[in-house]
Amino acid sequence: MKSFLHNTWKHRAHVVMALPAFLILFFIMYVPMAGLVMAFKNFDYTLGIWKSPWNGIDNFKFLLASKATFMTMTRNTLLYYIVFTALGTFLNVVLAIAIDQFVFKKMAKTMQTIMIIPVFISYAAVQFIVYAFISTDTGIINHAMDANIRFYSTASYWPVILTIVKMWNSVGYGSVLYMSVLAGIDTELYEAAEIDGANKWQKIWHITIPALIPMITVMLLLSVGSIMKSDTGLFYQVTRNSGVLYPTTQVIDSYVLNAIFKNSNFGFTAATSFFQSVVGLLMMLFANGMVRKIAPDNALF
Amino acid sequence: MSKKKGNAADLAPSRKEKKGIGQYVLGFFLLLYTLFCFLPVLLVFIAAFTDEGAILNNGFSYFPEKWSLAGVQSVLKYGHQLLTSYAITIFVTVFGTFLGLMVMSMFAYSISRKGFRLSKFLSIYLLIPMLFNGGQLSGYIIFTSYYHLKDSLWLLILPLCVSTMNVIILRTYIANSIPNELMEAAKIDGAGEYRTFFQITLPLLKPSMAAVGFMMATAYWNDWQNALLYITSDSKKPLQLLLVSIQKSIEFLLNNTNVPAAARAAMGGNIPQYSSTMATVLIVIGPIMVVYPFFQKYFIKGLTVGSVKG
Repeated sequence: MKSFLHNTWKHRAHVVMALPAFLILFFIMYVPMAGLVMAFKNFDYTLGIWKSPWNGIDNFKFLLASKATFMTMTRNTLLYYIVFTALGTFLNVVLAIAIDQFVFKKMAKTMQTIMIIPVFISYAAVQFIVYAFISTDTGIINHAMDANIRFYSTASYWPVILTIVKMWNSVGYGSVLYMSVLAGIDTELYEAAEIDGANKWQKIWHITIPALIPMITVMLLLSVGSIMKSDTGLFYQVTRNSGVLYPTTQVIDSYVLNAIFKNSNFGFTAATSFFQSVVGLLMMLFANGMVRKIAPDNALF
Repeated sequence: MSKKKGNAADLAPSRKEKKGIGQYVLGFFLLLYTLFCFLPVLLVFIAAFTDEGAILNNGFSYFPEKWSLAGVQSVLKYGHQLLTSYAITIFVTVFGTFLGLMVMSMFAYSISRKGFRLSKFLSIYLLIPMLFNGGQLSGYIIFTSYYHLKDSLWLLILPLCVSTMNVIILRTYIANSIPNELMEAAKIDGAGEYRTFFQITLPLLKPSMAAVGFMMATAYWNDWQNALLYITSDSKKPLQLLLVSIQKSIEFLLNNTNVPAAARAAMGGNIPQYSSTMATVLIVIGPIMVVYPFFQKYFIKGLTVGSVKG
């Protein structure tokens, strides 16, 4: 203990340098963790988090009792996660291989620059672009088809719309990581395959894809850790937070955001938040454990 | 067939290959996807310069019947508010990015020092927020009722300031790309800890800081959620919140056909129109489009470095 204190004193400059980030993390990230006890309390704004009376697991009973809302948003969160992750990974890999195979490199670079742009546009701005395409009166789609489709009040269209918007937003950017793996493949492998008479597809199938598998595995596993989190802007902004669409667009994050604005239902929301955080933690531990087994270098801890 | 073995961040290593028909088919599909990414952005430009009447009659179009500067001009009617919002966004972005880079690189430097026994604890302390967090609701209540920071710019700056992933990227760079001997040599020459960090480490950390800094700046520029949650007064409204409130007022007008004429009149020139809305969107997303190509190589490197933990 004494030597530890001695060591710390010797490194006091490092302690001082670590302090600002330490404090920011403490006040912004750690204190709100304690706030999760709200899930077991009957929250009253005037009393605050600590003084509000405990109510055991009543909030969670409430959660299970109001199946419809809770089940819908949990289902949506999970389904969108699965679709976005599966389709996203697939498209990332396809795009990375396509750009890698393309011999006109200057052009490939320009195209890539453009493909990454959407990720830098906030959803608050994206929703206006989406509106220009699908609004009933002025939308490009309705005008082109001479139709009168009411996208903003028909829930069943939205899984498709949101998937397209999400892919538009993220695929160009997501492929960068895979391209860096492809750039690192030893060319001798391709040359050897060529001598053995392999054609282009065989080379992709037997060299390129196997080289990508470790990175794909790691990225998939790590993403499992954020299974309960969603791209809030996509579900809140792009849908214009329209209540009619909730059956297919409400996810946990957007529900919580709405609850904060409506200033209501804190017990239910706190229980939902608690559920989200705990499942997130378990998934993260699971994911990291798996990565540790498969590719220890890529494990987070 | 031969290829120079490019470095890992070089995304388009050249390879001598036949430019057969297959290449043109591939190029065609890549071009299609590029257009898919680009056309929605282009629409913002076009709609911003389209005549309002043309949009009302024919809808949004890539080939508008009539062009007009009215949309862009009417944005100037928001004039004062737009300037204020721009100033707020720029301030938050610059100050937040600078502050974040500073505190994160100091933290990363500290925990990468050998023989510093507290660094193990600090690393775990850094990691936990990535695994577990209090969620939006408890954050909201803590920040507003306990810290009393409602309507404070600090809530736009601090929540995005320190992120575990960014510290890991910086730490990896310090561990792998900055020779420890340099720091030791500086110490032997009599430089103190702080001087060693600021004069030796920090300048060498620039490439990594450019990558992290660009990602942070984008996150600050695009953040609407914290603004929507915490900012109430017009004088502190950042650009993204301005966009959100434009949308809210459009919604209000659409959903309330019986808004009294007096109220409509009171909103005066601020009833948002399609072309002026798009002009605002253009003004909001414009700067990032302009700046991004210059930072592309840095942030691609940062992305790649971040994926390989040291």
